[in-house]
Amino acid sequence: MMEFLIVAFAATLIYLSAAHRFRVFARFMGAQGVLIFGIALLELNEMATANLVLVVAETLLFKGIIVPFMLFYIIRRTQVFKVHAQATPSFYILILNAAALIVSVVIAYTLQNPYINTVFMTVALYALLSGLIIIVTHKLIISHLIGFLIIENAVFLFTIALGNEMPALINIAMLLDIFVGVLIMGFFGMRLKPDTGDLTQLKD
Amino acid sequence: MELILFFSTALLFASAILLMRNKIFTRLVSVLYAILLIGLSVHGWFNLNKTFIHYFTFSHEGMLLLSTLAIISLPTFYHGFRYTYNSTTRHFNIYHASMIALMTFMAGAYLSNSMTMLWVFVEATTLSVAALIYHDRNKQALEATWKYVFICSVGISIAYVGILLLGFIYGRYDAASLTFNEFSLLISTANPIYLKVAFVFVLVGFSTKMGLFPMHSVTIDAHSVAPAPVSALISTTLMNVGFLAIFRVFSLFSSTEILSFMQNSLMLTGVLSLLIAAGYMLKAYHIKRMFAYSSLEMMGLVAIALGSGKSGYYAAILLVILHSLVKSSIFFSMGQFKQVNQSYELKQVGNYMKNYSAGALLLLCSVIFIIAIPPSGIFISEILIFKSLIEQQQWLTFIITALLLTAVIYALLTRVLHILFSDASEPIEKTNTGEKINVIETVPQYVLLLIVAVLCFYQPPFLVDAINASIESLPK
Repeated sequence: MMEFLIVAFAATLIYLSAAHRFRVFARFMGAQGVLIFGIALLELNEMATANLVLVVAETLLFKGIIVPFMLFYIIRRTQVFKVHAQATPSFYILILNAAALIVSVVIAYTLQNPYINTVFMTVALYALLSGLIIIVTHKLIISHLIGFLIIENAVFLFTIALGNEMPALINIAMLLDIFVGVLIMGFFGMRLKPDTGDLTQLKD
Repeated sequence: MELILFFSTALLFASAILLMRNKIFTRLVSVLYAILLIGLSVHGWFNLNKTFIHYFTFSHEGMLLLSTLAIISLPTFYHGFRYTYNSTTRHFNIYHASMIALMTFMAGAYLSNSMTMLWVFVEATTLSVAALIYHDRNKQALEATWKYVFICSVGISIAYVGILLLGFIYGRYDAASLTFNEFSLLISTANPIYLKVAFVFVLVGFSTKMGLFPMHSVTIDAHSVAPAPVSALISTTLMNVGFLAIFRVFSLFSSTEILSFMQNSLMLTGVLSLLIAAGYMLKAYHIKRMFAYSSLEMMGLVAIALGSGKSGYYAAILLVILHSLVKSSIFFSMGQFKQVNQSYELKQVGNYMKNYSAGALLLLCSVIFIIAIPPSGIFISEILIFKSLIEQQQWLTFIITALLLTAVIYALLTRVLHILFSDASEPIEKTNTGEKINVIETVPQYVLLLIVAVLCFYQPPFLVDAINASIESLPK
């Protein structure tokens, strides 16, 4: 079951790298949240109940429900529905993504460790690189935000892999999630609405 | 106990400012906070190497940077009062409450003795800086704030992956609370590949704060838009937070076989930072952006110094301190520069010496200090860096650094001399804002420059001892 969830998470990354519609991005971010919830539930079975409840609530509520809800809200407010400005064509993004997967496999196998499942590490690294690729290859700042959310999920996946041994690290990762909440609500929800295009006033 | 008192008082002060909505009260509390910060520094020097609440230690390197912050805090508040003079009470209070929060988080980061606690404080500084950069509430401020928060968040996430990799090495429930000292006992048994990957993640991640290549762009945009006193902090003490994070991991790993890998990585990052800085400074059109690139150049030099080893370690810490004093002085004077010239665009300003000689003289002195011409203490740091490069026979780095520094000096001098003595090539029509320019405002900057000048000729024994103690664990 665990392998299925992790592989499904990796599949969402491939789909996200090729997606063009922001509604698809929002739905898949929700799907990633639910998958991480499942992974957390199965993986963190040795964790203290109170902490586990907190983690489950954070993954299911924040990542699975609130984040996609906020993304849909932003899409409605900004009326930006499609990624109409990419710095790199989709074909090359897919190639880059495939390369990222290979690099992740190589690194994860090089860094084999008794404290972490190699598949976990592969997918977490792949998610990290996918997020960076989306940030670098897209021009719109909503796409950048999606990239950042993927990186944030990658970090959370890393922490879940260590969660039984190191619950404090999970709590810190949740702090990062709260930070993301501020980022999304503070800028997109409240202020950045008219400037959802690429921001180019400050340049050399 | 002392630190709990400091953090709770800071929280109380920031909350009181937001609740009271009174400018005089805010000024009073801000000055009290600066005195509190100075008091904490003095207390720290009397309690060196003592640990508080498990997570904080008055270490030598932390105290050096905390003291630098304490020295800069008073002029920062003073110039902040001037900058926000015409702001509404609400914006005035948000600005100063955020400033207190930022200084407190920076103090927390300097004194943290574990990687996770340091990371938490670094994350917290991003939020408080965002509120300060956004102070002017225009489109450019919004863009700069967004870029700052976004890129810093990405950097912080990447740095956290580096910290997690350290956790994998240890693999126990208390990994998050492990102090640097405790970690140093375990590090010799760690897999070097893990250490290398962790170092790269930490270096790239905290580069957002230190303002190093490849994450330098975030601070450049923030500098050009933020209020002048905020730029003074972002460019100095906040960069020092990033430096400290990288320095601590470098020190931690320096006893392992990856030392040369770290040194090469730092050297490469430093040279690339210098290259980017020199390139952009040669085509600079905006004076604050130009000085922002100058900060990139300085941090590049710090990275090269750390990478070169031996006397380079000493030079790196000395340079970080001196750069903080000089660059904050430059950015403080940018407030008056804007008042007089009503623009930061290089083409639109000129004859500054004629229009406002006190400010112009200060700008000239500051530039002489930043390009490391004696009596600038930075001269000593740069000499030590070159000495270290020669000792290590890093001839290529030596030549590239020397050439790039020459380009930086040329760029800075030509532009600043043009501002001081030539007519503006595209003059703008100045409007009378009714704001009075007070020569007294230049005094704090001269005091900061005086400290740097004294340190060129005489470095007091306690400073030398503190720097040497900070680099004690590094290989000789």
